[in-house]
Amino acid sequence: MLALLPRLRRFARALARDAADADDLCQVTVEKALLARTSWQPGTRMDSWMYRIMRNAWIDTTRSRRRASETFVDADAGAAIGGDGGAEARVALNEVEAAMRALPAEQREAVALVLVEGLAYREAADVLDIPMGTLTSRLVRGRQALMVRLGEAA
Amino acid sequence: MSVNEETLMAYADGELDPLTAKRVECAIAADPALADRVDRHRALRARITAGFAPIAEEPVPGHLSDMLHGNIVRLADHAPRPTMRRWRGLAAMAACLIVGLMLGLAFQPQGSVVARGDGLYASGSLARALDDQPGGAAGKVRVAVSFRDRQGIYCRVFSAAPADGIACRDAVGWALRRTRPGTVAPSTAYAQAGSADPDLMAAAQDMMAGAPLDAAGEADARVHGWR
Repeated sequence: MLALLPRLRRFARALARDAADADDLCQVTVEKALLARTSWQPGTRMDSWMYRIMRNAWIDTTRSRRRASETFVDADAGAAIGGDGGAEARVALNEVEAAMRALPAEQREAVALVLVEGLAYREAADVLDIPMGTLTSRLVRGRQALMVRLGEAA
Repeated sequence: MSVNEETLMAYADGELDPLTAKRVECAIAADPALADRVDRHRALRARITAGFAPIAEEPVPGHLSDMLHGNIVRLADHAPRPTMRRWRGLAAMAACLIVGLMLGLAFQPQGSVVARGDGLYASGSLARALDDQPGGAAGKVRVAVSFRDRQGIYCRVFSAAPADGIACRDAVGWALRRTRPGTVAPSTAYAQAGSADPDLMAAAQDMMAGAPLDAAGEADARVHGWR
């Protein structure tokens, strides 16, 4: 599980609205995974199992947040967070992160699993517990929105 | 041929089965605008992947790794031990040998693999399936795709309980060009189009000249004994 932490942090950043929320999400995910560790079946992929836990935890937090009627940080404000290093990689990351944050949740999770984490469509559909056709249509819409937002000449 | 955006995206991501991928390639050859769209999908993918990659390179914050270090029950660690690495080459060789043995042993009752001259050939039930079974049909042996290689020889990608592989029809019979441990569970009754081993499908794509055979092409080849 230790070896998966870097990838889980990356996935959290692709889902969450900022770095602090991503860290919280990681912590909650590890807690849940430790509590539920007997439900992981040896011989199955632990990464998919952890991605699923994280994704469900993320859905839970966004739901409870909506109930508390908190306003979402808008994408432009999100772009300013973590930009103090000034390194080019940071700036590029923030553009991409801001564009991701502008996506609806169901497109963002599909893009995060396939483009950020490099899962095959089948694996991503399994993590999200949706049919392949649903995954590909969400992925296409998410990508088209990202292309528009990031400017087509990447 | 019109190609929808989902299919183009799946092509850009390498997610299509070889048959559909070949069709998309034909469509792209006829329409440069499609090639542009594929490029845009690939460029976006590269940008998103590169955008988030640095996060996985950062050191993991102490409070996160401590949660696991302090825990008595260690879950499986995926990092290979150094000794494993040293033996991996030998293990791979041994695995090949075992596949060979499994092929020989598992097919033995039906006599489905024989050594002839300089290689392994299908015989018995495997050879019969390769001769007669249409692509995609369910059975103890499944054929995922049939094609002609660059020499014009007919080849078929198959899955069976003891081994998956690519067999090509030469003058002697169905020569086994590639084999790997089988993925077909004896209870599996349904063959999905994309369910063949991705490495084998990639190998088949490399060997393939032109497009894979469609049902009519297969039927025609079958009538002519795959020669």
